[in-house]
Amino acid sequence: MKKIIFVMFILLYSFSSYAFAAVGCTLNDPDRDVKRLFPESTGYRTDFISIKEIGGETLFQKIEQELGDKLDTVYETIDVPYSFYGVLKGKEVIGQIHGVNQKGKYGGMQLILATNLEGKVLNFYYQKMSSPEASKFMDKNFTRQFIGLTLEDFLKGNLKISDPSKANHEDFLATLRGLKKNLILLKELKLNSESQSK
Amino acid sequence: MKAINIAFKNLSRKKIRTALTVGAVAIAVAVLVSLMGFDAGYQRGLNNDINKLGYHLLVTAKGCPYEAATLMLKGGGGLRYMKEDIYERIVKDPRIDKITPQLVSTAYNQEGPGGRGAFSLYMGIEKSYLELKPWSKFKSGGWFSGNNADEAIMGYEAAEAEQRSVGDKIFVPGIEKVLTVVGIFERNGTQDDGIIFTPLATAQRIFDLPGKLTGIGIKLKDIRSIAKFEEDLYNEPGIQVISLAQVRGTILNLISSARAMASSIALIAIFIAVIGVTNTILMSVFERTREIGVMKALGASAMDIFKIIWMETTLVCVFGGIFGVALAAVGSTIVEHIIRQVLPYTPAGKLVLIKPALLVLSFVATVIMGLIAGTYPALRASLMKPIEAIRSGE
Repeated sequence: MKKIIFVMFILLYSFSSYAFAAVGCTLNDPDRDVKRLFPESTGYRTDFISIKEIGGETLFQKIEQELGDKLDTVYETIDVPYSFYGVLKGKEVIGQIHGVNQKGKYGGMQLILATNLEGKVLNFYYQKMSSPEASKFMDKNFTRQFIGLTLEDFLKGNLKISDPSKANHEDFLATLRGLKKNLILLKELKLNSESQSK
Repeated sequence: MKAINIAFKNLSRKKIRTALTVGAVAIAVAVLVSLMGFDAGYQRGLNNDINKLGYHLLVTAKGCPYEAATLMLKGGGGLRYMKEDIYERIVKDPRIDKITPQLVSTAYNQEGPGGRGAFSLYMGIEKSYLELKPWSKFKSGGWFSGNNADEAIMGYEAAEAEQRSVGDKIFVPGIEKVLTVVGIFERNGTQDDGIIFTPLATAQRIFDLPGKLTGIGIKLKDIRSIAKFEEDLYNEPGIQVISLAQVRGTILNLISSARAMASSIALIAIFIAVIGVTNTILMSVFERTREIGVMKALGASAMDIFKIIWMETTLVCVFGGIFGVALAAVGSTIVEHIIRQVLPYTPAGKLVLIKPALLVLSFVATVIMGLIAGTYPALRASLMKPIEAIRSGE
């Protein structure tokens, strides 16, 4: 009895202090979104992981190096908890969904990637975008060009993606940066640490 | 052996039954504490929100008082507009200390979160707005360069959501307009945190509302002249004057039915818990009729038996009270989250305010409740005749 009460107390306390903490970019409707991206899924598990807790300052610098750009000192700090949705089919994890916030020319973007366990893009969409040409970017003809890409493709810089807008090249570049950041974080915070623990 | 030791021993004989009874008391206490904490927190938050508006009166176009209250506290949608010349007439009144005109408008972004669209709130203001809100400080940047500039000052949360810094552009969906961010306010815990401000003339131009206002905020030199001031404005056509007291009353009316229902549920939960405690102890007394008879035959007085049974009830309520107040204190964040999802308007700041005094008061009330609940079973046990008790227990 004492153990049960103690465990309940700890669980309740942990939940109350952590569950409502600010996070990087979460899915707006996880139940619906996970099922839409992985129709065969039976559930999902959410992990909130920050750069600080996995590798601290060293990892932060490594991520900046891979990204080829400095992370924003206000919106991309070392302690932002990123949310990773491990997609389940029964007890087996069949994929990952991860979203990042990215500064666009006219407002914040939320870039969501669905990947397999090797980090290969299975689906990509903008959860939020503010731009006069948002519809061009959100068009499936543009977003589906990213399907099948991996982090390697971004790192080698041999992407053959065309800019859908005429007057908004900055948002195109911001999208590429955001997706590269998304895949780097997925590799460093989730896939690498999971393969090490196996 | 002391009564408390015997009571402990008796309760530990039926562990699950005791635990369930303690749990029922704990839940009832937690509900009560959370509700009282919510009542205190909501009123404090509401007063704080209203005080942080910075003005005593808001003049709006005639319409629903609930709409006006929402407009005052949240910015609101489905707005009514009044002509700007009303401001020109009121501004000359010598009783006014500070006055500011404002135009609230919304823009719908159909490419919003989750593809479901979202509203952004815009407010056209003049510099007098800051005189009424001296606590509004710039985190970065500053005031607009001109009265009709295509510029924006963003509330802290609005800037955070759009990842904007001074010098960045911001796109206003629906009207396809681009503004330049010239300032970002520090977080101040009010509705201003989520608003995007533009010069008043800019808002009137880009939202195609020339010469229109949604509100005029007024701070009087002497707060005692509010009633007379309101009365004087009563004859102005097409407007209504809302005082802070009215807004406070309107919001409290909005939540009063929900509060009454929740309080009734809490009272029912407490009543059921009291009945449950009485029932449990009474069952325990019946099961131990022979044992009580033997105790009396060996010299225990009626008062000794009364004390033991009374102590059992009190212990159940003491532990229920301890777990209940702990549950309420720890779970207040969750309760607060749920309330914020349910209620149409919730003030900023801590919504469930649980002070130590409330916890102590609830705990003491629970113990008193235990003493009352235990009186009947204790009396019943203490009045048993030894021979009859031993025989009936055989």
